[in-house]
Amino acid sequence: MIDPALVSALSALMFVIGLGGAFTRKNAIIVLMCIELMLNAANMQFAAAAVHHGDTTGWVYTLFAIAIAASEVAIGLAIFLAVYGQHETISLDDVDVLKN
Amino acid sequence: MASTEVTNTINSEWLEFAPLIILLPMMTFAVILFLGRVFNGNPFWKNTMKEGGLIALPVMGLSLLLSLLLISEFLGGFNPLKVFDPATVDKLAWVNSGVWDGGSNLESVSFSFGIYVDHVTVMLLFVAAFLCLLINTFSIGYMNTDPINDNRNHRFYAEFVLFCSGMLGMVLADSFLWLFIFWEIMGLCSYLLIGFYYERPSAASAAKKAFLTTRIGDVFLMVGLVMLWDLFGSLDYAIVFNEENIAAVAENSAGTLQWALGLMFIGAVGKSAQFPLHVWLPDAMEGPTPVSALIHAATMVNAGLYLVARMFPFFGAEALHGDLDDLAFIIAAIGGITAVMAAAIAFVQMDLKKVLAYSTMSQLAYIFTGLGCAMYLANTLDWHHDDDAHYIVVVAFGAALFHLFNHAMAKGMLFMASGSVIHEVHHAHHHLHHHDEHGDGHHDDHHDDDFDAQSMENMGGLASKMPITATAMLVGSASIMGLPLIGGFWSKEGIIANAWRVAQDDPRFFLPAICVLLGAAMTGFYMSRMWFKTFAGKPNNEVAAHVGPTNTWIKTPLFILTFVTLSSVIFAGLGFTHWASENSYELGQDGFLHGLQHEFEHAFANTDAFFFVLTYVAILLGAVIGPGLAMALYGGKLADGEEAKPWMRPVIQLSAWVRKRFHFDNSAFAESTLATALENRLYIDEYYDKAMVNIVAAFSSKAAETDSEVIDGTIKAIESGSQSLSSFIRSMTTGSARDYILMVAVGTLSIFMLIWGVA
Repeated sequence: MIDPALVSALSALMFVIGLGGAFTRKNAIIVLMCIELMLNAANMQFAAAAVHHGDTTGWVYTLFAIAIAASEVAIGLAIFLAVYGQHETISLDDVDVLKN
Repeated sequence: MASTEVTNTINSEWLEFAPLIILLPMMTFAVILFLGRVFNGNPFWKNTMKEGGLIALPVMGLSLLLSLLLISEFLGGFNPLKVFDPATVDKLAWVNSGVWDGGSNLESVSFSFGIYVDHVTVMLLFVAAFLCLLINTFSIGYMNTDPINDNRNHRFYAEFVLFCSGMLGMVLADSFLWLFIFWEIMGLCSYLLIGFYYERPSAASAAKKAFLTTRIGDVFLMVGLVMLWDLFGSLDYAIVFNEENIAAVAENSAGTLQWALGLMFIGAVGKSAQFPLHVWLPDAMEGPTPVSALIHAATMVNAGLYLVARMFPFFGAEALHGDLDDLAFIIAAIGGITAVMAAAIAFVQMDLKKVLAYSTMSQLAYIFTGLGCAMYLANTLDWHHDDDAHYIVVVAFGAALFHLFNHAMAKGMLFMASGSVIHEVHHAHHHLHHHDEHGDGHHDDHHDDDFDAQSMENMGGLASKMPITATAMLVGSASIMGLPLIGGFWSKEGIIANAWRVAQDDPRFFLPAICVLLGAAMTGFYMSRMWFKTFAGKPNNEVAAHVGPTNTWIKTPLFILTFVTLSSVIFAGLGFTHWASENSYELGQDGFLHGLQHEFEHAFANTDAFFFVLTYVAILLGAVIGPGLAMALYGGKLADGEEAKPWMRPVIQLSAWVRKRFHFDNSAFAESTLATALENRLYIDEYYDKAMVNIVAAFSSKAAETDSEVIDGTIKAIESGSQSLSSFIRSMTTGSARDYILMVAVGTLSIFMLIWGVA
């Protein structure tokens, strides 16, 4: 059995990698992947906590979060398609109509 | 009078229907307005339904019928001691509301509607319902025959019935709160009806003036009611007139009570057009004549008197003995001053309706004087235990109420008669000048070109041409003047006598006492002047020579009211002069003939030498000197070949003889400063205008300055501040998704750190 503390640490690492990617990359698909990474980090944290407390509730949350993440990706990709239809790019630096 | 002294409670069948007296006209208001909108211009609606007049008429008839049933039950046939106990009547809860008691509690208060019937109610109820019906009849003859009113009479009838509903409601209401609500409904209808010809600037401004002037009084009335609420915790008559409640209040706040009643009296002054809030009534004559007859002569202006009469239980309460005599004096003094002032202004008016308007003010002032004296007597005499004192109080109060009755009947009739004259003079003018010259027969303004159909300059010698109108006017004038045996004589004598009775006791009352005695002579003069200028002598011009008789709708109410006024002697014999007494109610108690004998003895052969002389002085002034002067100046024979009816012939012949024998030149007076001042209504309107300009306008411009600089300035500062703040915040939105993610991350982290730090 792996120590939940190690899982927790891995989750934190994954979260930071995801956050860093989301900050720095300008391709929207990569940013979306980074967000998924953060979401999975959270899932992993749930799992670690479930093992630590010996409680199944954490596993249930994880399952819900995976389902939600799947639908979120679908919506995200649909948005990018729509953005591409409008702007002919999905580079986040070029899509700035909300400015000022 | 207080409700605890009520001896008998009866379970009345007709009391159940009493709310219908109010509700029927109120619903008719909506019906006429709706139908009038839908069928406007439809010939059936216009000619057969009289644009709503024939819907209003049966409804007013029904209201009168229900009122009469209620009244007859109240009078109770052979047992005159039956009185309704208001506490037993089921009330319709109107609003349940919480009232903050000033501490930490909310009291639950139910404002409910009920019907309160006592002697004062019954008197006013009959006057209002009866005159509403008669004047409705008159309106059909007056309004629907004038082309200027075509296609908008439905508005007139709708407002007319709403007014009737307000008046009847005010009389029947069982609390000061409902009285005030109906009072304001009447004020609204008065405003709307004065401004009926709203396209005329004079009518529009007269309506505004009437509304605003009465509103000044109403504000005081409202403050008075709030104070009364504060003292009693209720405005229901059943509670505020309760002897024990009054005693509890009297113990330590009799002074506050006097202030509350005094403020309420100011409301009455506004509504009944007394000095100094009288300025609206003469202008209100801009309204159609039926409106002047109903609202501004016979009913609404009585509302103020009704309010004061309603206060009687306070003045009569044993617990307040001697505490309210100052207020009683103020009421009597305002009455006395107005009586003389209005009568003096009426001397010089040329407009027929204006003379009647000032006469109304003057006569209402008489009733106020009468009420004031009755209140004084009730407040200072030990009338609960002393039978003689009791009789004096009852007679004094009864005289004022009886004068209200007589005046309402006579003045309603006089206004209708004046309307009849104006209507026919106008038609004659129309016939002479427009039919012949233009041939199109289409001209429809009462005030077209320079011809004024209301001016007595355009009348004269109409007695033979309009016999019924002339008779009605003669009887009405005689009643107002207090000519012996006719109409107002019985009540006016009582008011004068009581004013002097009180003056012997309290020298302050010499002011109103002298005023009412002087006013009697003045009334005799101006009423006679009006009659002789209109009906006697030769026609003043061609128009007056071509006046014809009037239509049946107009004649009928005149005919009925002539007889009502003439039968005042019968009412007097029936004991109307002791109208308001709660336990020695004497209507027909000793038989009619005994009552009549009693009245005659009192009027003509008083055992007290002072009052004996006073009676004959009053008769001399009011029935001989006043009319004699008018005859000497304005009397005269009719034109040759014209023959008045036999009962008017002696009057006209007498006037011609007096004129021949005693005529004098009054041009010196007519050109004097006093006459000019009177013609300008003593410049009171000008004073008010000036006061408005100097005080109110100055205040207003200061207020406008404050508004534009201080208040607007603050708002503008807030506006520009928030604008610059928002443009600063706007610069933070870069539009780049990564920046937003960064902000979200930093924000979330900060929240976590905060929670961590706090924990």
